[in-house]
Amino acid sequence: MGQSSMVLFGLILLFYLVFYGFLAALFTFTMWVMLQTLNDEVPKYRDQISSPGLTVFPKPVTALEYSFSVSEPESYKGYIEDLKKFLTPYASEAQKNLKVCANGVLSEQKGPVYEACQFPLNLLEACSGENDPDFGYSQGHPCILVKMNRIIGLKPQGQPRIECTGNSKGENTTTLAAYPPEGNIDLKYFPYYGKKLHASYLQPLVAVQLNYTASSTPKEVTVECKIVGSKNLKNYDDRDKFLGRVAFKITMRA
Amino acid sequence: MGQKTPRIYSVELNGAKDMKQTDKGDGKDKYRGLQDNCLELGKNQRKEHLTKEIDLDDHKLSNKELETKYHTNIVTGLSSTQAAELLARDGPNALSPPKETPEIIKFLKQMVGGFSILLWAGAILCWIAYGIQYSNDKSSSLDNVYLGTVLALVVILTGIFAYYQEAKSTNIMASFSKMIPQQALVIRDSEKKIIPAEQLVVGDIVEIKGGDQIPADIRLLFAQGCKVDNSSLTGESEPQSRSCEFTHDDPLETKNIGFYSTTCLEGTATGMVINTGDRTIIGQIASLASGVGNEKTPIAIEIQHFVHIVAGVAISIGVLFFIIAVSMKYRVLDSIIFLIGIIVANVPEGLLATVTVTLSLTAKRMAKKNCLVKNLEAVETLGSTSIICSDKTGTLTQNRMTVAHLWFDNQIFMADTSEDQLKQTFDQSSGTWASLSKIIALCNRAEFRPGQERVPIMKRVVVGDASETALLKFSEVVLGDVMEIRKRNHKVAEIPFNSTNKFQLSIHKTDDPIDKRFLMVMKGAPEKVLEKCSTIMVNGQEQPLNNSTAEAFYTAYMELGGLGERVLGFCHLYLPADEFPETYSFDVDAMNFPMSDFCFVGLLSMIDPPRSTVPDAITKCRSAGIKVIMVTGDHPITAKAIAKSVGIISANSETVEDIAKRLNIAVEQVNKQDAKAAVVTGTELKDMSEDQLDEVLTSYPEIVFARTSPQQKLIIVEGCQRQDAVVAVTGDGVNDSPALKKADIGIAMGIAGSDAAKNAADMVLLDDNFASIVTGVEEGRLIFDNLKKTIAYTLTKNIAELCPFLIYIIVGVPLPLGTITILFIDLGTDIVPSIALAYEKAESDIMNRKPRHKKKDRLVNEPLVVYSYLHIGIMQSLGAFLVYFTVYAQEGFRPSTLINLRVEWEKDSVNNLEDSYGQEWTRYQRKYLEWTGYTAFFIGIMVQQIADLIIRKTRRNSIFQQGLFRNKVIWVGIASQIIIALILSYGLGSITALNFTMLRPQYWFVAVPHAILIWVYDEMRKLFIRLYPGSWWDKNMYY
Repeated sequence: MGQSSMVLFGLILLFYLVFYGFLAALFTFTMWVMLQTLNDEVPKYRDQISSPGLTVFPKPVTALEYSFSVSEPESYKGYIEDLKKFLTPYASEAQKNLKVCANGVLSEQKGPVYEACQFPLNLLEACSGENDPDFGYSQGHPCILVKMNRIIGLKPQGQPRIECTGNSKGENTTTLAAYPPEGNIDLKYFPYYGKKLHASYLQPLVAVQLNYTASSTPKEVTVECKIVGSKNLKNYDDRDKFLGRVAFKITMRA
Repeated sequence: MGQKTPRIYSVELNGAKDMKQTDKGDGKDKYRGLQDNCLELGKNQRKEHLTKEIDLDDHKLSNKELETKYHTNIVTGLSSTQAAELLARDGPNALSPPKETPEIIKFLKQMVGGFSILLWAGAILCWIAYGIQYSNDKSSSLDNVYLGTVLALVVILTGIFAYYQEAKSTNIMASFSKMIPQQALVIRDSEKKIIPAEQLVVGDIVEIKGGDQIPADIRLLFAQGCKVDNSSLTGESEPQSRSCEFTHDDPLETKNIGFYSTTCLEGTATGMVINTGDRTIIGQIASLASGVGNEKTPIAIEIQHFVHIVAGVAISIGVLFFIIAVSMKYRVLDSIIFLIGIIVANVPEGLLATVTVTLSLTAKRMAKKNCLVKNLEAVETLGSTSIICSDKTGTLTQNRMTVAHLWFDNQIFMADTSEDQLKQTFDQSSGTWASLSKIIALCNRAEFRPGQERVPIMKRVVVGDASETALLKFSEVVLGDVMEIRKRNHKVAEIPFNSTNKFQLSIHKTDDPIDKRFLMVMKGAPEKVLEKCSTIMVNGQEQPLNNSTAEAFYTAYMELGGLGERVLGFCHLYLPADEFPETYSFDVDAMNFPMSDFCFVGLLSMIDPPRSTVPDAITKCRSAGIKVIMVTGDHPITAKAIAKSVGIISANSETVEDIAKRLNIAVEQVNKQDAKAAVVTGTELKDMSEDQLDEVLTSYPEIVFARTSPQQKLIIVEGCQRQDAVVAVTGDGVNDSPALKKADIGIAMGIAGSDAAKNAADMVLLDDNFASIVTGVEEGRLIFDNLKKTIAYTLTKNIAELCPFLIYIIVGVPLPLGTITILFIDLGTDIVPSIALAYEKAESDIMNRKPRHKKKDRLVNEPLVVYSYLHIGIMQSLGAFLVYFTVYAQEGFRPSTLINLRVEWEKDSVNNLEDSYGQEWTRYQRKYLEWTGYTAFFIGIMVQQIADLIIRKTRRNSIFQQGLFRNKVIWVGIASQIIIALILSYGLGSITALNFTMLRPQYWFVAVPHAILIWVYDEMRKLFIRLYPGSWWDKNMYY
């Protein structure tokens, strides 16, 4: 009795082994077939990201809120490190093999080798970190970098630029400086050809620097940036609060 | 269930206990009271002995004793004040209506039954999760609140739906109220008054006449030619005469008691009310019926079993993965949300509603075939039935006397006894027949009610008693217009039948213009008739009556009597014209005519014949493995004869008594194993212990119980249920109602049935046709098979709904299938197809297999769950995952990138998540892609559910044997799946709350190869089952 039930159990075990083995092989095969339909360089469809989102650096920890005290370097150390890390690929050493492209025109390429255009750090002027390693945080003029999300094949029309406005509480007025001037994004950085073909690609950046005029503390500013000047880059969507725009808050204590 | 002490149902006459208990409170208390009551009854039942079943001795008392006992006066009646006092004490003379479960409790039961508890738990967990989220972050999304609300709505809506379905199919029948006679003629304060019968009290003197319903249990004080119809109480189809003499110890048998709600057919009577309302015999039986608890129907047990399995799987997987999630360092809040997802994925939300719809569809189909189902679940019960206990009168028989046999010329002729006899085919050429038919036509007082010329003879209304009606219809069929014959043979004198003479006689002028003799015709009890004869007619010639002819007569008489038939003898005498000239005046009181030397012409026997459809139906029940037992209040001989003629006792089986008679030995010497059949009378049953009854029930395949009381019917049903049988009881009388209630399924006759029987029954045969039961059995078995298919179909996708969660938790891919989307499958695309399976035809002859075993053949068995979950379910999940991965890969996220992406993917602050090609996605763009993934997974499941639906059409046969297009509703189901999916994806794809997006057309076809694989695999499974019956494959793969 015990033996026959063992045999039966073995038989059933064997069956499931074979059955699931077959299913696993089949699934692997169909997945393989599916992967064959893919292109290594470009995804098959790009309809779901037709327009880029905007993101900011330093990378916000939770919500889009920066909070630091000018007098305490520890409170903004993280931000500075994050910015430095982010800007490493932009160091002139790292860029020296990149092409210097003509301004104002799309750099469409046919391959097989796709070249990336230089984005000299000095375009960011005061926020480049070259002259001020504290990116203005120690002086109470913090820099925030704004960038457009990479989308393969995106060709902006017109002259895209990032426009930021600051709103602060009470009577404080804030002026925002943008680098490159007027937050321009040069067309020469488009289109992007994908991670594989365009490995050395550098995204164009825009830096925003806050300049407070009033001196009351703490200073709280809400900044809203959006892409303007290009027809095919949306800057408003009901549901997607980061499509072509970004809003963040900076709280600065003395 | 299994107590050893005999459980006997008996009723105390002054059963005020029951009354008191029902008076307790209302609402919930009432409900509880009902249960207490049942318990109480149970205890009493065990103590009392059956012989005391009806404790009534008023029939033994003299009039004087009665007067003292009830403080009344036979002549003057009660005084009004006395009556008012008694009325206040005893309450009105009416049956208390059956206790009903309050509607609100029925509704609440629907709200918490089945999977509802699990879904409520899910909903509450959702709200708790939101509560935690909210306390951490005031701006947290309301998704969990929505989900909780949706789950609660699902429970409430399916609950309302089930309640509505249930309510629609119950309460079809009116209550006992119809049985209560409206008025009664009563003597009070020495005056005759007409009062509502409800106001009668014990001691009242009432007068009744033919046509009245007897207003209470009465002891007769005076009666003249009074006959009552007790068939609804005792099952006897013949009218019972009533007089004021005490004739039998048993109050049910004695002639001087008239029972509440029975009908007085003819004559007049005066009686004293001895019991009113619930204390009457009928009232006791009715309360016996309501005291019998309603057992859970087999299908309810099966569904509960199924719910337990699914809930068990859901809870154990849920808890397991909760633990896994917590130990994988997921936050508790997330783990709770996983738990909800797992519960929702595991519970087939739409299934119970589907089952209800399926059952009600079958109920509708059965109603078309004249089986009205009062309790939805009873639809299936008939299919599981293994024993049918059938009442005789009105159920197996037509409940009307019909001529069955004739004996003349030393020969027995058989008459046609079918319901719609058009002509009689026996040899009618003999001269004897000419004489006999004349006597039958003339010696008869029954008449057709005028104005029925167009009505078929058998359906015409006749004024006259049962035997005379039978004879009238018989001669109308054979001879044509009987009224015309009677007119031509003018009746000059007659002596009506009475119980002392036991004969009926009439004298006619003949229609022969030459023959001026009077014809004297007589019919009556054969031995009485024969006494008056000196000759016998053979082949039209009169012959002297000698010993051998008398012997032949007795043989025929005994033979017909042995068939349980009522035998009448017929004779005639032509009066000599010289002695009785045309002008002779006959005087029936002086008897100025001869009463001897008649010429004996023939015998004729009558029986309440079986319905013509019954024998065939019983054969079908036999081949379907159902044992048919006859339980009747009628006499054993009649019962046995009918049992033989319908096949309950088959032609070649014998009872112990038969064997004893054949072998000419004592009954005790017969080897009981030789006997296949048994006829057990109520008296024998009274002395049997529970074990003895069990032995009778198990050792004889063919059993007839005769002369049984309502209580005994209950005992028999209980005995059958002890054998693990699913018992159906058919009946029409009040006496059947307790057994109908006790049975797993009670079947009442719609036309002949009393209201009490219809009330207690779960099913009513509208055409009184026993054959409809066979239809019911077939439908019941089919629905059981088809429910298996529906459940297998529904369970399959549970795995495909569950796997996404498990993979999401363990591998960390973006969630492949959302909880709301799951609900759209369970309550959207899957509903019509699972109902469509109810329309599937049977795979093989379901009427040739044994009824399912209540405890072994489960609705949801291991192979069904294993095959659905671990075979088809897994295949389906793989197919759906393929669609999911395809969508993500083609949009830029290759499978390798997806692994462990979950945390970053779900972070609201990450708006530049990089895909496999270096593109960056905002949170909302990812969310939209995730919804596209949901839609893709949904479509993947939907496409494969089409294949699943097709394979579920059969369990053993190939789909091609079954026919792919025979069940059109399946295609409606498939169309509904596709249309709902199209609407969700393309129509409502823009409503973000539903989490559907527009999916590229080609993704609809990605899972098609998997769907085909499912079909091929299942065909292989069925092929091996057919090729190797009994193999381990068959055992493990046939559900």
